[in-house]
Amino acid sequence: MLKIKGLSKTFCGIKVLDRINLDIEKASIVGLAGSSGSGKSTLLRLIQRLEIPDSGSMECDVRTGFMFQDFQLFPHMTILKNITYAPKIHKNKDHSAKASNLLKTLGIASKSHSYPSQLSGGQKQRAALARSLLMEPDILLCDEPTSGLDVATILDVVALLKSVRNMGVTMLIASHDLDFLTKISDRIVLLKKGEVIVDVALESIKDPIDYLKAFY
Amino acid sequence: MEELVHHILFIGQGIFFTLHLLVGGLAIGMILGTILSVLRYNKIAVPVIGGFISILRGTPLILQLSLVYFTLPSLVGVRVSVLCAGILAFGFNSSAYIAEILRSGIESLSKGQFEAAKTLEIPPYYMWRDIILPQIIRNIWPSLVNEIIAVLKETALIGTISGMDIMRMAQILGAEQFTYFIPLCIAGAYYYLLTLLIEYFSKKFEKREFYAKN
Repeated sequence: MLKIKGLSKTFCGIKVLDRINLDIEKASIVGLAGSSGSGKSTLLRLIQRLEIPDSGSMECDVRTGFMFQDFQLFPHMTILKNITYAPKIHKNKDHSAKASNLLKTLGIASKSHSYPSQLSGGQKQRAALARSLLMEPDILLCDEPTSGLDVATILDVVALLKSVRNMGVTMLIASHDLDFLTKISDRIVLLKKGEVIVDVALESIKDPIDYLKAFY
Repeated sequence: MEELVHHILFIGQGIFFTLHLLVGGLAIGMILGTILSVLRYNKIAVPVIGGFISILRGTPLILQLSLVYFTLPSLVGVRVSVLCAGILAFGFNSSAYIAEILRSGIESLSKGQFEAAKTLEIPPYYMWRDIILPQIIRNIWPSLVNEIIAVLKETALIGTISGMDIMRMAQILGAEQFTYFIPLCIAGAYYYLLTLLIEYFSKKFEKREFYAKN
């Protein structure tokens, strides 16, 4: 459903991504690992078309959704308005009913009329996820979804994203947290200095964290 | 005492003219300033808009007012009233300052807000109207209130083309009485009172609209 061929991107003369090739299949969770500055976020931003690639091609015939590292909820809107605003503009049917169901599923129904500043990090995370999901994406791109969250909340996020996969949504998750990625992904793609150096299905390796750490 | 009341009432007749200028000028200033600041994000329009703002900020307001009032009839064959000339001049001048205030607001906003709107496929008109501008207004509100107060005080220049505002009424009274001290103090008190009212309502608006969301 998403095919990337030879994608490259340079910022101010620094090559951030170098001829990336990647195929993503439906209903899978792909973890994008790598240290800071390895090009994970840039790759997600290129797929979402927030950046223009220097070269290479991308075939993506499905709708993508994006979850920002810092959520980027609209601070002047309530949570309910944050998640229903775009579907309302696009005249999506039943967006109100879907929104309340989603908020209930994600456990933040009681926060519908609160503003983002009144929510904890984990609650903002859920609100951002609800906003992306209500747009009914086929692929959800998550940029560092566990950044700044405590251990208990990270476990919640793992459960949450697994339940999202059960809804039939494919996910590409960028994170530097190997423990989190190995808990959730079917496949890990490791980036180093803008190049894919590992692309492996997790079920095929015994001790994934040790295996991946060897490539850092 | 009776004479003082007469002076206050006489100069007070200029309030409506001043308020007409203020409201009209600000309406044009806000609309044009918003258009200018949004168009600044269009690469083709940048030099034209930058030049327009630069000229309006770089020339005296009294010159702009005189240009509108004295030269429009000969240049385009349109004769405008004193009030209309004042509203146009104050409006155009204020639009340049409002565009700059808005620019600072836009630049203070996280780039991620624009990107979030883009990822949610929100069309530009709705993005600016419902996502960007409400947040910017909250950020720039104090500067915007300063601009409103500045325009109020600048309206006193209308006397140079015979507009009968607060200041002009005070000057007329001063000339009649051969003493300017009391009339000018009364005019000053009117301007100060109007400024206090603007501050009062702006703070009320700020509390109602912004505090709950912070």
